[in-house]
Amino acid sequence: MSHLAAGKTAGAKEAAGLRYPSNGKTIYHRPLNRTKTAELSQSSFAYLFSEMVTYAQRRVTGIQELEKRLNLQGHPIGLKLLDLLLIREPARSQTRPLNIISLLHFIKINIWQHLFGRQADRLEKSSNPDTPDEYMIVDNEPLVNAYVSVPREMSQLNCAAFVAGIIEGVCDGAAFPARVTAHSVGGKEEGEMWPGKTVFLVKFQPEVLEREALIGRA
Amino acid sequence: MVIYSFYIFDRHTECIYSKIWLPPTPNPPPPPPPSTNTPTLAPPAAAHDGTAPLPPAAPSRTGTHVDRRSVSAKAGDDAKLIFGTVFSLRNMVRKLGGEDDAFINYRTAQYKLHYYETASNLRFVMLTDTATLSMRSVLHQIYINLWVEFVVKNPLSPVEHKGGVGVKNELFELGLDQFVRGLM
Amino acid sequence: MFFRTIFALIIINKAGGLIYNKTFHEAGLNKISTNDYLVLAGTFHGVHAITTRLNPVKAPSNRTSMQSGILTRPDPPSGLEVLESENFRLQCFTTLTGIKFLLFTDTTQANVDLTIRRIYEMYSDYVMKNPFYQLEMPIRCDMFDRKLLSYIREINNR
Repeated sequence: MSHLAAGKTAGAKEAAGLRYPSNGKTIYHRPLNRTKTAELSQSSFAYLFSEMVTYAQRRVTGIQELEKRLNLQGHPIGLKLLDLLLIREPARSQTRPLNIISLLHFIKINIWQHLFGRQADRLEKSSNPDTPDEYMIVDNEPLVNAYVSVPREMSQLNCAAFVAGIIEGVCDGAAFPARVTAHSVGGKEEGEMWPGKTVFLVKFQPEVLEREALIGRA
Repeated sequence: MVIYSFYIFDRHTECIYSKIWLPPTPNPPPPPPPSTNTPTLAPPAAAHDGTAPLPPAAPSRTGTHVDRRSVSAKAGDDAKLIFGTVFSLRNMVRKLGGEDDAFINYRTAQYKLHYYETASNLRFVMLTDTATLSMRSVLHQIYINLWVEFVVKNPLSPVEHKGGVGVKNELFELGLDQFVRGLM
Repeated sequence: MFFRTIFALIIINKAGGLIYNKTFHEAGLNKISTNDYLVLAGTFHGVHAITTRLNPVKAPSNRTSMQSGILTRPDPPSGLEVLESENFRLQCFTTLTGIKFLLFTDTTQANVDLTIRRIYEMYSDYVMKNPFYQLEMPIRCDMFDRKLLSYIREINNR
C-alpha cells in the first residue's frame, strides 16, 4: 500500500518537473549494489567474458580484427564510465582531467579501482624520443585474463584488448583522442613472475600533444 | 565383514566355480524386481545367522523355477563381466606398474572386489562390502588350503575343469563355505 | 621408495575419450605412448561402466524415502573409485557431468580426495572459463598446466 501512496505523490509532483531528494543525492550518486563490499562474482564475469570473446571471434579474418572487435566492445563502457565516476567525485573535484598526466592518473587510480578493485601497477612514458605521444599503463595480471589461456597459434592475441577499448573510451570522452592497444609482455624481461603481464599502450593523436604544449606554455 | 560372492577362473578364462552367499535379488522375488521395504534389512541379518539362501525360497513357491533360472543366468553373466573387468584391470596395471606389478583390489561406493592370481594363471575373485580390508591372504589361503588340498590332490579330479568338473566336490564346497562363514 | 608422491593425472571425457594426461613423477609409472594412453582411457571407461553394473548390493529400487519431510532418492551405484596394485594406487573421481579424473599416486598417498577435488576446481576455473576451450576436446590451456603443476609440485615436495 505504501508503495502506491508514494507513487501517487511522486506522480503528482512530477507535473511540476523533476523531483530531487532533499539531500541532493540521486540514484546516480551511489552504486546499485549496496552491500558492504559491492563485489560481483568473478565467475559470472569470467563466463560472460568468455562468451564475449567467442562472439567476437565469429567470422573474423585475423587476430587484429578480433582485437579490434574486443576494443569496440569496451569503448562505450569507457565513455559512460568517465561520466559516472566524475559525477561520483566530491563536488569540488568534479572536473574532467585537463592534461595527459592527470587523465592517466585518473585511469590508473579511479577507473582501475572501480573496475578491478585495485590500482594499475605502473604508469610509464615512452623513453623513445621518436614517440613522445606514447604512454604505457602496466597491469601485472589483468582480471579479464584471469582464466584465459590463449592457444599457441594465436599467441599475438591479448584479450585485454577489451580493457584497452575501455581506456580508449575514457580518453575519447575526455577529449584526448587516442589509440589504445594491449600487449602481452609476460615472461620476457622480468622472468616468469607475472606470466600474464600486460602493457596498455596509449598513443595520443597529434592534436592532443599540440594542445598540451600550448597549455604548458601558457 | 560381509562377503557377497566368490569366483574362480581357469587359465582358459572360463569360470570354473562361483558361489554367491547373498542372492542378488533377496527375499520375496516377484519376477519384475520392484522390491518392497523389507528386503533391505534381510541380507545382513541372513548373513549372520548362517542360513542365507533359505529365506527367499520359502515364501513364493510358484515363481521358483523361473527365478532360479534367471538368477543363474544372471550369475553367469556376472561371472563373464567380472572376468572381463579383472582381466582389463590386470593388463592395465601391468602396463603402467611394470610386469612385476599385480592388481590387488578395487572398490566402488557399494562393494569391493579382491583379486588374486596364482603362478598357474588361476584367478580368484571375491566381492565384499567396502569396509573389508585386503583379502589377498584369504584368497591365498583358499588356494593352498582348499584348492590344492581338495581339487588338485583329488585323484578323481581332471586336469582341466571344463564347465567346473571336479571343482564342485563335497569337501571343497563344504570347506569353502565353512571358511567364509567363519570370516563373516 | 617414492614416499607420498602423485605420479600422473588423466582426464577422460564423457564419451571415453582421453582429453588430458600429464606425468608428474617420471619414475612412478611405466612410460607409455600417447596412443596407449588413448586405449587405456577407452578401456577404463568401459570397465568403469561394468563395475557399476556388478554391484551385488541391491538398493531398494524405485523407492523414494522420506527423510525429515524431504523426498530423497538413494545415490545410484557408483563405478570404480579406488584401485590398488602393488606399485600404485588409482583414484577415480566422476563429476556429475560424467567427466572422469584419474589420479595415479603412490600406494601410501593420503587425502587423494582433497587433491582430486582441488584439481576439479582448477579444471572448472582454467579450462571451463577459457574462451578458447571447446567442450569434450583435448585440453590445451597454459594456465591450467601452470596452476596444476605448481599445485602438484607443492604436494610432491612436502
